[in-house]
Amino acid sequence: MPERYYQYTLPNGLTLLGEKMPGMQSAAMTLLVPAGAAVDLQGASGTATVLSDLVLRGAGERDSRQLTDYLDSLGLQRSSSAGVHHTRFTAAALTERVIEALPTYLDIIRHPHLPEPGFQAARDLTLQGLEGIEDEPRQKVLIKLRERYFPWPYGRNTMGDPEDLEALTLRICKSQHQKHYHANGSILAIAGNIDFDSFRREAETLFGDWPAAAEQLDTTAPAPLGVHHVEHPSEQTHIGLAWPSLEEIHPDYYVLRLAMEVLSGGMSGRLFTEVREKRGLVYNVWAGYTSLKGFGSIMGYAGTSNDRAQATLDTFIDEVYRLGEGVTAAELDRAKIGLKAATIMQGESTSSRSGSIAHDFFMRGRIRTLDEIKKGIDDVTLDQVNQFLKTNKPGPFTLVTVGPKPLKTPWSATCSPCT
Amino acid sequence: MPLTFHHHQLDNGLDIIAETNPDSHSIAVGMFVGTGARDEEVTINGVSHFLEHMMFKGSEKYTWEDVNRIFDEMGARYNASTSQEMTAYYANVLPEFTDRAVEHLAHLLRPAIRLGDFTTEKKVILEEIASYLDDPGHRLYEIAMAEHFGTHPLSQSILGSAESVQKLERDQMTQYFTRRYGPGNMVLAATGRVDFPQFIKIAQRFCGSWRRVDAPRHHPQPVHQNRRRTLVDPKLNRQYIMGFTPGPSAQDERRFAARVLSDVIGDSEGSRFYWALVDNAIAEEADFGFYPHDRCGSYYLSLICDPDRTDEAIDIMLRELEKVKHDLTPDEVERAKNKIASSIVLQGEVPLGRMRAIGGQWIYNKEYRSLEQDLATLMAITPQSLQSLMRDFPFDPMTIVELGPRPGKGILIPTSTADTMKSAARATAPAADLWPIT
Repeated sequence: MPERYYQYTLPNGLTLLGEKMPGMQSAAMTLLVPAGAAVDLQGASGTATVLSDLVLRGAGERDSRQLTDYLDSLGLQRSSSAGVHHTRFTAAALTERVIEALPTYLDIIRHPHLPEPGFQAARDLTLQGLEGIEDEPRQKVLIKLRERYFPWPYGRNTMGDPEDLEALTLRICKSQHQKHYHANGSILAIAGNIDFDSFRREAETLFGDWPAAAEQLDTTAPAPLGVHHVEHPSEQTHIGLAWPSLEEIHPDYYVLRLAMEVLSGGMSGRLFTEVREKRGLVYNVWAGYTSLKGFGSIMGYAGTSNDRAQATLDTFIDEVYRLGEGVTAAELDRAKIGLKAATIMQGESTSSRSGSIAHDFFMRGRIRTLDEIKKGIDDVTLDQVNQFLKTNKPGPFTLVTVGPKPLKTPWSATCSPCT
Repeated sequence: MPLTFHHHQLDNGLDIIAETNPDSHSIAVGMFVGTGARDEEVTINGVSHFLEHMMFKGSEKYTWEDVNRIFDEMGARYNASTSQEMTAYYANVLPEFTDRAVEHLAHLLRPAIRLGDFTTEKKVILEEIASYLDDPGHRLYEIAMAEHFGTHPLSQSILGSAESVQKLERDQMTQYFTRRYGPGNMVLAATGRVDFPQFIKIAQRFCGSWRRVDAPRHHPQPVHQNRRRTLVDPKLNRQYIMGFTPGPSAQDERRFAARVLSDVIGDSEGSRFYWALVDNAIAEEADFGFYPHDRCGSYYLSLICDPDRTDEAIDIMLRELEKVKHDLTPDEVERAKNKIASSIVLQGEVPLGRMRAIGGQWIYNKEYRSLEQDLATLMAITPQSLQSLMRDFPFDPMTIVELGPRPGKGILIPTSTADTMKSAARATAPAADLWPIT
């Protein structure tokens, strides 16, 4: 691996990753713990989200207030949240401040106090957030789409169900913390003008005796899929669409990404051109690659006035099918330069890089260097893209709409992608 | 980081500025215009934002398809935004595309405004207005601004209403363009790996012939008074509350202290509002922020809570605003300063972030401030600066507007709101982006 990238897995299974970015004053850290919403117990959805707040309400020798004050005094720009696979903690600041915060993050994940009043508050806040989503149909449609599209438990709303949250207890949270906040499967990534060896020594000292635990075997249930409408008295109809695609580790991954750039990258992308620019049907329309481990997918969204929603959906689907007829050399050139430039520009931010290397390791077991990504993009030919599009027809579609009225599915009459 | 500042003015008054950084991997270039919703007559409300969209519809030389295609051929990350006071167009590209990006921005800023494009884009604007109506936070922001500023031009909606946009004619837009988009009212700014002499050359070639136009702005003093208003929307589940109170302006030296004070009071974590309202789950969100304008300024507060806890939450918030005047501690001021310092450093490492900072600063103050200057000014702030600031701007008078299902003496909003409601923009970032980043 080129000398600016580092990867090291401790005997307990915690992986340390680093990217040296000379010239930077800041460093950014991403810590992924394998305690995402997918491991929430049946009937206890939302636990991971509640825990991602609760672990910050006092840890080690500091109570809630002392802990927050201390992290603030370091000037850390930080976040904590539960995703599907992981609970994620991020922190960015001047390099030495991020290193200084490491022992405290050890306390947060290994020695949180998990106090009862803090639990009540964290749960209430999650419930309030869920209620708020009912006021924002644009968010709601994407949450409902994930629920319909991904097999359980991968599609569940990371914030949980209100009934589960009402019944959630601190005992369940404590037991889930003990079971899932463990070293194996955790990733600690840092990017910036760092000395990786000293970071590694520090992390080994701190996290070396963090216990590993047995990997949990997931039980899954098939996704409901199909067409689903949620009635909502909204100004617009919000349309969410998903269909399966390649996993990130597939050899044709860059071919797929470039094809998707043609569909929805930049303002000359086909969806933007046809749905918004030519017809003025929407303000927002997009489709993009989404990856969960084991499920490469495309997800798309459009929001439009109720009386124009059918035309919007029809045009959207037409464009998705038309992509199967192939792309032009000029479109592919634009897609390539667009993806490459985005990669290079992302390389200017420590926060982006620490998130990317952590994601890469989780998906692929290694870091992709920026040069490898650029080469992956460059090596794709027009023939490859068009051959790929010819043999990989889109569908079956899962469609969710949120608005006053359901829409007709354009594919039922003309084709049957659901079979 | 070896950052160097450069400035040059073309004969027609166009300012060209750059902060060069040879270590960058990209350049960011933007054209900033000192115009926005506050510069519109009521009859053409929404024209600044609509015009921003029309810039992407082509010049005499290019069609809208050319405009989008050329940006994408450079692999540019590009966008535009409109606020009450400023409109900005920008692109982030690899250094080899610098000349082309500047040329393209110059074409963008001389739009053809063809009638067919105008008619199609009007539909997009109406969809944008409708999309904000499905977002209570955004709706509330402009209602509260209108209430707070009353007859002052800052009360004007950025997007305009469905009605005002519907009525807008192409000729009104071209007249507005001629009046406001003069080179004397604009700055071309670049950051990153920029070759400044070459940058001037390209700018001279493509912007040098623009006719000089002065675009004065009226600065009436806003008249504020304590105002409370409740808007009832039974469709909503949560209660949304937004308040405004006077603060220092974008030109005022006290604006740096105001930023620190805002973080002490209402940063999303570790602030006074956080401990009084969010930590204990009385409110889901309780923020306090500083919003400087051209020669006047505001603090804003924003709260989301259960409808039946609204009065309690507002009372706590108002009590905290009184309390901080008496028991401010040096530690909390230090913590807020450290957090802001980190955000300045992080923003400074990305050319796009710096470009937006120096371009905006120039439009408001015709002044360049280096990162070091900003950090030094920040670090010199003391608890005494904040106390003196609170004597000058004591959070009084204050406008508070609620939107939510809570029944009461409020004004009921009709079920179909599209034609009657004022549209809204973002509460936290007071600018409407042309193209949401997805």
